[in-house]
Parts: sequence; C-alpha cells; structure tokens
Amino acid sequence: MNVRTGKASVVAVGGVLALLLSACGDDAGSGGGGGGGEGGAELEGAELTVGAKEFAESKILAQITAQALENAGATVDDASLSGSATVREALEAGEIDMYWEYTGTGWVNILGNTTTDLPEDLFAAVAEADAENDIAWLPAAPMNDTYRIAVTTEFAEENSLSTMSDAAEYIADNPDDGTVCAASEFIQRDDGLPGLQKAYSFEFSEVVELDLGLVYTQVGDTCNFAEVFSTDGRILANELTVLEDDLEFFVDYNAALTLRQETLDEFPAIAEIMAPISEALTDEEITAMNAAVDVDGETEEDVAAQWLEDNGFLG
Amino acid sequence: MTQTEGESGAPDLATAPAAAMAPVRRERRTLGSYLFMPTFLALVLIGLYLYVQSQELDSIEQRSLNASNVGKAIWEHVQLAAVSTFFVILIAVPLGVFLTRPFTRSFRGVLLTIANIGQAVPTIGVFALFAVAFLFLGFPAAIVGLVAYAVLPVLRNTMVGLEQVDENILEAGRGMGISKFGVLTRIELPLAVPIILAGVRTALIINVGAATLAAYINAGGLGRILIAGLSTNRLTVQIVGAVLTAVLALLIDYLAGIAEDVLRPKGL
Repeated sequence: MNVRTGKASVVAVGGVLALLLSACGDDAGSGGGGGGGEGGAELEGAELTVGAKEFAESKILAQITAQALENAGATVDDASLSGSATVREALEAGEIDMYWEYTGTGWVNILGNTTTDLPEDLFAAVAEADAENDIAWLPAAPMNDTYRIAVTTEFAEENSLSTMSDAAEYIADNPDDGTVCAASEFIQRDDGLPGLQKAYSFEFSEVVELDLGLVYTQVGDTCNFAEVFSTDGRILANELTVLEDDLEFFVDYNAALTLRQETLDEFPAIAEIMAPISEALTDEEITAMNAAVDVDGETEEDVAAQWLEDNGFLG
Repeated sequence: MTQTEGESGAPDLATAPAAAMAPVRRERRTLGSYLFMPTFLALVLIGLYLYVQSQELDSIEQRSLNASNVGKAIWEHVQLAAVSTFFVILIAVPLGVFLTRPFTRSFRGVLLTIANIGQAVPTIGVFALFAVAFLFLGFPAAIVGLVAYAVLPVLRNTMVGLEQVDENILEAGRGMGISKFGVLTRIELPLAVPIILAGVRTALIINVGAATLAAYINAGGLGRILIAGLSTNRLTVQIVGAVLTAVLALLIDYLAGIAEDVLRPKGL
C-alpha cells in the first residue's frame, strides 16, 4: 500500500512535469509537483519505500537507491532502511516497494530450485520465473556476493596463486598445507565445500570448522585457505586475496533491485535512474563500501552518499 | 499454622536446621526408579531412529546424519564434557578446601569473584576471545572455556559442604588427637561429599549443554550437527542434534545420580 502518489504535493498542475517526463511515459503524473530540484524530477511526487536485509551490504544498496530516487524528486520513507529478515515477504505484501535481492537467493530460496539445476543465464531465468509472482527484477549489477576461497595476499604472492585451479594444484603438491577454515553452512552445502572439491578434483587436507566471524581472522594462522564472501569488507581489512573461480563452480549472487511490477508500471523512471548505478556497482566498489561500514564504522547513509557523489550520480 | 512435618515425628525445632544442612539427603532408590530413565531414553532414541529412517534425506542431511558422523559427534561431545568436568573437579575441590581454611579469609572474596566472573561471561564470548586474541582454537580451547564456566558450582558446593559440618564434631575429632589434616580428610570431606557431588553433577550438566558451542571453534561435538542443521535450515538435522544432546545430558545426569548414591559415605 506504499505506492502513494503524493497527496500533499498536488501543488502545481503537471505542465512542467509533462515536459520533463515526456520521455519516460510516466503515468504517475497525477501526483504532479512544482519543478525539479537539483537532480531532476522524474519521480516528483512519488512516495516510495526501500527495504533492506539486515546486513551492511544490503543496507548500503538500499541507501544508494533511496538517495538516487530522492534526487529524482521522490519522497523515500527511511523507516525500512534499517533492514529486516523478512524483506521479501514485506515486498510481496506491499509494505515496501523495492529491495536488492541476489540472483542465487532468488533461484534457490525464493523460487525453490536446487543448485544442481542451474541455468546458463541465472539472472534471466530468475527474472522470468519471478515475473509470475508479479515481481520485476531490474538488470543485475556486476557485483557478485558469493562464496569464494581466499588466502592472505602474502601467501598468494609467495605461491603465485590467483585462481582456484592454482590452489588445487598447490594443495596437490603440498598436501600438508591445504588447511581450510570454513563455517558450518559452507561445509554442508552442495554448492559449498563438497561440490568445490569435486569440481576442482582436489581435497583440502584439513577442514577447520569455525563461526563465520572467526574465519576471516584465522586465515594465515590456523589455516592457509578460507571460505569468504567475495564482497566482504573484511577481505580488505585482513589483506586477503580472493581466488578466482576459474571453472565457474560457485553459484552467482549478483545483486539486482527487485520491485513489484505495479510499482515499476507506475514509475518506469526507476529503471532508468537505477540502470547506470547498478552497472557501476562492481565487486571492488561494493567491497570498499562494505569495509567503510563494517570495518571503519561509517554509516551506510554517509557511505552511499559519498559513492553517489564520487560517481556523479547526483549531478 | 502447619509446620513442615519432621521425619519420624521428631520435634520440629530439632529437624529444621538438620534438613537445611543436608539438602541432597534422600532415600536410596528402588530398582524400578533405577530402570525408568534408561528405558525412557532408549525409547526416545528408538523413536528418533525410526523418525529419521522414515524421512527421505537429501545430500545435505545425509552428510550430517550418517552413523560415522553422528557417532563421532557423540564421542567428541562425551570427551568435551568428561575432560572439562575432570579439570573442574581438579581445580574446584582443592580450591574449595583451601578457601574454607581460616587463614585464607582475607582473599576468599577475590577468588570467589573470579569464579563468579567465569560463570557470568558467556561461553561463546570466551571462545571468541581465545580465538581472536590468542589464536587459541579446538579441543584445548573448548576445555578451558568450559572449565571456566563450570568451576563455580563445584567450588561453591565444596565450600558450603565443608562449612556445614558441625563444629562440635570437628572439636570431638581434634579432642581425640586427630591432626588438622586428619580432621579434613577423615571427617570434613566425607561429610561434605554429598554436597560436593551435587555440585559436580551440576557442572557436568552445564558442560554437556555448553559443549554444543564448541563446534564454533573447531572442537566438534553434537553442536556440529545442531549448527549444520540450523545453518542449512534442515529440520531433521536440527532435531537429531537437539534430541541427542538432551538424551546425553539426561543420561549423564542419571549416571551422576547413581555415582552420588554409591559414593555417599555410609550412614549419611
């Protein structure tokens, strides 16, 4: 019920708006508003709610989205930006209008598939299947927050490791040095440790099972290799090198903005505003932002604003 | 006003303090009561086995719920609980004796506070601290964490057990020419055994429960199964981990109860 077209903001008749929006074919014109601010007014009068999951990356993405939409004239309710575990349910129920979801989560958790029947183009398959639920997926960002194996940068340079194939070869040659730190879920999942070892035909010499939070601090001490999430800020903080998944074993978790189809139909400008932003969200960019929040303690709001500013999206 | 009835109609005034001093005193159990708990636990295990057999297990569940993995987890768990309780007794009983000697009165409070802190700090916090600050992981780290957590009940009960011994009995012992050490080993400790054992039993149960957290620092145990079930959202695996932990705790409590009966000095 959050797709409200501005009640209070029916100040001016939509003449200006019609000019501005002629390219967008926006049918939200009824909300009309007087003139664009600094950034333009494609979404003048729109009242939107952006949700997030309860971790930094999701909240940063939500902040980026909220600020970009506000810059385009929309009013964004910040109550939901703090994150919740039931964000998908909230989207379906209409309590929020959009949030960033991951393609892998969409395929496995939302659509109920397994990782053994992965389609060639995961994003296209997920977007198509979820359309039946009236949920639209905007084109996915290049950032891919998925499982990876990492080593300390020092260890990577010493042994010239850059890909998983290098690592498999190294472990075959040095069977005693193939210790891996990992959390329970990664150890158990088919698309985690068991499948990885099968795909690259090698076996870690020892699996050290730890809480995920401890894994990042133990690399280079308790174990040479570690399970990490590829865009985690602690990769930078602990000077780790993420090994490239050269056989493309791990499932892709590209982030994409999901919203109800009716919201997109009402405000098609959202897709146009978000397209260049989404495209700019690479692993490097989001990892640096995650580190700024998780390691340096900055707020998601400031980090998102800074990034939008630096990349010229608020111009 | 109805007062609590004294045993065998003895006057209330005489029995009240005695009952307060010997809280663990109870009748020897009958054969039937000895058989109840093992029978109950066996039925629970059979029920669990049949439940798991009736489920179609996917690859993730099979990875956790196979005989060798479950057996290994149980064995690791028993080791964690047994070794940690062994060290708890080794530390807490002598310390309890020491702290009830008159000359230790001045620093008794400090040591008790330390034992209190050990129990107040969450075990998972101790584990994380060891891992992050000292890179201390695995079985030894788990034992240190569990010992710190379970020292207090044994220490407290040892002290209470020794302090509740009637001063007149000690006086009589000394009057008979028994040395200070003899009074401790031949009168005080035997009289304190039931209360000390009650503390040990508490420590064992605490350790069986807290040992599930050891899986977070590579020390294995039934927590490994429980956490695998939770992290992959597999209900069957969670149930197996939880039920096995509960059965183990009840079984160990049952065995400790028998040990209490056997080890309690005759005539108490």
